[in-house]
Amino acid sequence: MSAFVTLAPVYSMPAVTPGDVDLPDSSSKDRTRALNQFLASVEVKAFKIAQIALRHEDDALDAVQDAMLQLARAYGERPSDEWKPLFYRILENRIRDVQRRRMVRNRVMSWLPFRRGEEDDEAPDPIEQAVSPEPAPGHKLELNEAMQALEKAVQALPKRQQQAFLLRSLEGLDVAETAVAMGCSEGSVKTHYFRALQTLRAQLGDYWS
Amino acid sequence: MNADDMQTKELEERARGLLGESVTRVDARVRSRLNQARHAALEEIAAGQRSFWRRPLFMPATGAVAAAVLVAIVLTAQFRGEGALPVGEGGQAFDDIEMLADNEGLDLIENWDGNFYEWAASEGDEHVDGTSG
Repeated sequence: MSAFVTLAPVYSMPAVTPGDVDLPDSSSKDRTRALNQFLASVEVKAFKIAQIALRHEDDALDAVQDAMLQLARAYGERPSDEWKPLFYRILENRIRDVQRRRMVRNRVMSWLPFRRGEEDDEAPDPIEQAVSPEPAPGHKLELNEAMQALEKAVQALPKRQQQAFLLRSLEGLDVAETAVAMGCSEGSVKTHYFRALQTLRAQLGDYWS
Repeated sequence: MNADDMQTKELEERARGLLGESVTRVDARVRSRLNQARHAALEEIAAGQRSFWRRPLFMPATGAVAAAVLVAIVLTAQFRGEGALPVGEGGQAFDDIEMLADNEGLDLIENWDGNFYEWAASEGDEHVDGTSG
């Protein structure tokens, strides 16, 4: 079950208003407003990156929420141009934590054969997964198929290649920002990204040609 | 740029376009939950700027200290016999504290039926009077 908080009304808060938070001075309000704008600009892409990496909507939402909280707590006072790579650094750490926890859980579960059935509870709902009976227009259908093929291929990439590819292609970070987010050198980012493209080309080339 | 590079570049462009499209398709429910998460993060900043003693870390400690002071005052009054508090016979102060800490006590007050208890008390007095006299 998701640990998601429910603090705000649904479909609300386009921007922070003076009454939203009880802050002592205008500079704090400016900072909060800036952080709100920043988080609003990255949240959906961040969710998509987490969803592709974790293949689970609630886990992805939790990871993004944790990253938002951690950024606000630890780096809210830092210059705003540092937020993006820091945010994605935190998010990548959260994603890795979830993957590690899953690995450990799966290892433990493999020793408990009588509990295997319980894992089925976390399997995707077949009704949600079912293809919509509504006939999609041809173009939309093609787009959907191409999107699914791409996501599947990206999910199959080695972790570091996947990170480099998603941060560069989906979020649009440059090489230096991606290096900060991944905690590696710019040269490593270039290598991972190039290999990711090669792998995707090998997998999708026939499909997309 | 050779043909190989061209193909890679093409794939890169197409992948970017598709990923961008997939972002626009994230549904309203997920967007709403992301919105809530963002709001929670901003609340975190506001909480961090509250006064020192109002921070969540200190609130339990402050509450514990206040409770300890209250207990100390009641016990001091009890042992000195000053009568500063409406303390009855020995040990009643402990009962008072227990009652104050007991949530059920609040239920009793909220559901207080004064007429019934007055009647019950008078009945009891009459019964006692009747048996003794």
